[in-house]
Amino acid sequence: MTSLKRSFETDPLSSNISSKVYVRSTKRGKVQKIVREVYLRQDIPCSSQICSICRSTAPSNAAGVVSPFVLSDKPAGTKAFPQGHYLVPDTNALLNAMDLFEQTSAFYDVIILQTVLEELRNRSLPLYNRLIGLTKSEDKRFYVFFNEFRLETYVAREQDESINDRNDRAVRRAVQWYNEHLAQTKSKQRPTVVMLTDDRSNLEKAKAEKVPASTLRNYVSGLEEADRLLDMIAESQERGVSRDKKAVDFLYPEYYSMSKMMTGIKNGMLHQGIFNVSPYNYLEGSIKVPAFPKALLVLGRDNINRAVDGDVVVVEVLPKDRWKEPSTKIIEEEAVTKNENADGDEGEDLVTEKEKRALQEEVKKTHSTSTEGHPQPTAKVVGIIKRNWRQYVGHVDQSSVSQPAKQGRKQETVFLIPMDKKVPKIRIRTRQVGELLGKRILVTIDSWDRESRYPIGHFVRSLGELESKAAETEALLLEYDVQYRPFPKTVLDCLPREGHDWKVPPSTADPGWKDREDLRGLLICSIDPVGCQDIDDALHARALPNGNFEVGVHIADVSHFVKPSNAMDTEASIRGTTVYLVDKRIDMLPMLLGTDLCSLKPYVERYAFSVIWEVNEAADIVNVRFTKSVIKSREAFSYEQAQLRIDDASQQDDLTKGMRTLLMLSKKLKQKRMDAGALSLSSPEVKVQMESETSDPIDVKTKELLDTNSLVEEFMLLANISVAGKIYEAFPQTAILRRHGAPPKTNFDELSNQLKVKRGLELRVDSSRALADSLDECVDPHDPFFNTLIRVMATRCMMSAEYFCAGTQAYPEFRHYGLASEIYTHFTSPIRRYADLVAHRQLAAAIDYEPMHPAVRSRGRLEAVCKNINVRHRNAQLAGRASIAYYVGQALKGRVAEEEGFVMKIFSNGFVVLVPRFGIESLIRLRDLAEPEPESTFDAENYTLKTSGSREVTVELFQKVVVRISDAKDEATGKRGAKMELVRTV
Amino acid sequence: MPLDTSTYNLALLRVDGRRWNELRRLHGQIRTQAAADGSSYLEMGNTKVMCIVTGPSEDKRKTGGGSTSSASVASAPNAADVSVGVVVAGFSSVDRKKRSRSDKRIQELQATISKALAGSLHTHLFPRSTISISLNVLSQDGSLLAALINAAALALVDAGIPMTDYLVACTAGSTSSYAANDDAADPLLDLNTQEETELPGLTVATVGATDKIAVLVCESRVQVGRLEGMMAVAADGCKQVREILDEVVRQQGARMIKEGTVAKSENVGGMDLD
Repeated sequence: MTSLKRSFETDPLSSNISSKVYVRSTKRGKVQKIVREVYLRQDIPCSSQICSICRSTAPSNAAGVVSPFVLSDKPAGTKAFPQGHYLVPDTNALLNAMDLFEQTSAFYDVIILQTVLEELRNRSLPLYNRLIGLTKSEDKRFYVFFNEFRLETYVAREQDESINDRNDRAVRRAVQWYNEHLAQTKSKQRPTVVMLTDDRSNLEKAKAEKVPASTLRNYVSGLEEADRLLDMIAESQERGVSRDKKAVDFLYPEYYSMSKMMTGIKNGMLHQGIFNVSPYNYLEGSIKVPAFPKALLVLGRDNINRAVDGDVVVVEVLPKDRWKEPSTKIIEEEAVTKNENADGDEGEDLVTEKEKRALQEEVKKTHSTSTEGHPQPTAKVVGIIKRNWRQYVGHVDQSSVSQPAKQGRKQETVFLIPMDKKVPKIRIRTRQVGELLGKRILVTIDSWDRESRYPIGHFVRSLGELESKAAETEALLLEYDVQYRPFPKTVLDCLPREGHDWKVPPSTADPGWKDREDLRGLLICSIDPVGCQDIDDALHARALPNGNFEVGVHIADVSHFVKPSNAMDTEASIRGTTVYLVDKRIDMLPMLLGTDLCSLKPYVERYAFSVIWEVNEAADIVNVRFTKSVIKSREAFSYEQAQLRIDDASQQDDLTKGMRTLLMLSKKLKQKRMDAGALSLSSPEVKVQMESETSDPIDVKTKELLDTNSLVEEFMLLANISVAGKIYEAFPQTAILRRHGAPPKTNFDELSNQLKVKRGLELRVDSSRALADSLDECVDPHDPFFNTLIRVMATRCMMSAEYFCAGTQAYPEFRHYGLASEIYTHFTSPIRRYADLVAHRQLAAAIDYEPMHPAVRSRGRLEAVCKNINVRHRNAQLAGRASIAYYVGQALKGRVAEEEGFVMKIFSNGFVVLVPRFGIESLIRLRDLAEPEPESTFDAENYTLKTSGSREVTVELFQKVVVRISDAKDEATGKRGAKMELVRTV
Repeated sequence: MPLDTSTYNLALLRVDGRRWNELRRLHGQIRTQAAADGSSYLEMGNTKVMCIVTGPSEDKRKTGGGSTSSASVASAPNAADVSVGVVVAGFSSVDRKKRSRSDKRIQELQATISKALAGSLHTHLFPRSTISISLNVLSQDGSLLAALINAAALALVDAGIPMTDYLVACTAGSTSSYAANDDAADPLLDLNTQEETELPGLTVATVGATDKIAVLVCESRVQVGRLEGMMAVAADGCKQVREILDEVVRQQGARMIKEGTVAKSENVGGMDLD
């Protein structure tokens, strides 16, 4: 009987084989023990260009390409390391100061150890991804050294050694090896390999083992620009050193443990959701949880317990005696906590006296107003599942800065006031207060400890002077997470080589012509806003012999140029949409495509994707077909030009006739849509007029709507609906569609109550049809704008439309509520929306033009794309609106205008006025009415606010008022905006 | 938790420290079970399998209602049945899981192995008999089918059943997933579990060191363009496997001569057994 057992010692390979054993727990809480083989080798290069030993063993990939050596032969030196140095950061250094490593002024030639990379991946996936991005950048010279696979640097965990200690030892061992290895080269100037760590015991051990090491802070102090860079080191790590001896009073209650929260959620005692802060009251948050139809309120600092807007939190419902009405009061952080000292925290109560008073008053109000508004359930935050901290733009609070710091280089703790009012002030420590004052700056939050009233963050970079156009625009883009950096080279490489000289191939035998219909003979034209360069769509119509009409919508064939899954496609899918600001456009696709090759410019031949219908006199569709085509647009009209041409009876050419046909049909289409219950919603839209040369805003106009606007819109809707049907039929699981959910009735509760109380009108919300009809009835004979006002307010009660993948919803859920269409998608603007591009690819596959690319077929991937573009779409809208608001402010600069406005919302100490002329809404607080603040009585049931004392006015909801608008800088946010004063009520 | 397969491009190293064209440690033993007609034990990395061959033995004609415990192929009426049974031990994977023999995946494994072996064995020499191969999976870490085929080949050599050449098998994969559609993806040789779950892969068995393919199993989606590279790498891996298995057999032969179990006769005189 032979024994199967064999001793590993006899195996010649045994010294090269190790195994990695670790334990992980699955989502269900099951614990798994994983054993992995590890093959240790000696041919992993050091990747330093001075090393000749590693050259011979450098690995190559399957194509035989040897990866180039990364680390420079002449790395930068510092005072401490005049011979030059390579850096080896440990995990904490990367966790705390990733921003530093991304600097362009320093931190070159960095060796990232595998140990560190693995640890970083466990700790923070976003940081890991940023680091991977860095290693791919050629000029930063980051090299990943797989120390765990190299025989000499592999470290086995010892008995009773903690995993952290082992990892620290592995890092030291690798640094030591690197130094020894580089010593073997003959180079005269031999760089030192330096470990960067803030762990004290690790430093001491390094000293004992003679491994060159430094703390991050010491290292950075030795660099040029030390002051600027020092600010970027995360705050929390140092505090650990300076504070641990003091006994601190905790200001906030402790979070529950993760397992306690999980159990609580499972048995329904706790609830998880996304925390939202009210835009009018920074001490009031709400959280929507699946268990209840209405959002739970979270009131006061104590209950909010360090949650920041957007975090995923766990809440516990408070006992009934602590339920409250939502606040009818405006509370702005700035006003309440104006004079706090950024430095001192100790000895203060969590809730300041003033905040307490503000709260007391509210309670009083709740108790006195007997009824109607029932107290709502409130909750408190007991834990955070996931922080959604991003980088925040703001400015340094002038008042938190001490005088001497403005000149000196003393380190100072100051408050940063974020632009976003929903985010609390952030404490940062900096040595360059003097320079940062009056600038827009970017910071991140590092932590928020129990003993600190405000979150602690660190400076990332300065965007420029407050109110300068460049800084404000960049701030806006950062706030809305718009990708505005220029396209990287890899993306530009995907463009056609011919550049602007690209033309539709003259020979129809060219592969580009394959399966394309030649529609160059049709009289096609495009109608767009003035100055539009990225022309997505063009139209034509002609009468057919049988009395019907042929109508064609031709869309730029972007999918011909952007192939799935290449760098350009990936970039576009991340950007998701083109963002239009008043003075700037941030493109989704490179300029060459967007404004030239894809754009359906007049007089030139272009590739297009055409939807062609045959419709009868009543605008009913007889049939529809889809085809790739080549077109030649005869003219690019602006809406006004098109309108003039149609109205001009002397124009009798075929093109104009075609346009008249289109207009006639579009009116019928619109009528049909309205009959089906489509909503005509409204949002106050204005346009900023700019001076042509300086592009300074000079005036604000409300947008005019012409018949031609609606002409184009109707046919685009029709095309989108037709395409949606087709791709859904072909790909019932993966078609990309757009839906607009019916809003829950409770959304309209407030508005319909307001209408009933104030105007005796009834709002029916059973279906979109009923809503459309009852909105039509909401008119005030004396005031044509009243109807628009109600529409604006109704729009805000709606859900937002979203992209989704057909397989994720049941067919009835596909419905587009606003358009009253069963199915809908976006197809008509592929230059500026990624969803349209995906729809193009799917349609091309549906008509057998090209095979379906796997990326467009994989449902998981499409779902991820939908999720991203939904967010991007929303952000782009918000950014566009913010940009208009900024320019409206600029246009009003130095002017005072008296305008009519309408009261939209009413609080016990102020009200919100919408001025249609400028499309702005602003808050007027009681204390703005007169000095001293007038007494007031607020009748919540009748939405009436009466003031007495220093000024006597009565303000009601929906009331018309005259306000004086002047521009003012909002000290709190540093934004310039319109400031309104009440002149009189009408 | 260690890194995943996406880091390959950072330093051309796989999750376990191998290069793209390296096999895991392959260890084989032959005649591990003296009482059996033929037996072997094989490790490919942490995938460990055992094989016992019984027969060729007289056929017990089945009387209808064939059992599901093993797959057998009767290639011709006058040839031996090759019946293969695979047993996966409950403790062989990370999660303890009992797999019944009627499990579809196991049945498929059995059928694949059985068909492939029937092609390389000289079954016509043993009419109306059965060669029964039982395979036991002790530990799983990827490339299971390949390991089973290799173990069976060794045990059949031990049992002395005539064959054209060893049936040797190996897996190959590609460094980026199907959806990533990266044209520059490297092919990978000999996948472990992690790679098998994250990346596309296929199993190839060849007859000896030739390019004759006996088994080709691909259960994941992969672009056609990448397939050729993966097949080439797998075929190359099979050649390496064949050399290692051959060495195992030769050592066993040398040992047997030394122990006097077999005489160094004229029949094997042509072979260099040292």
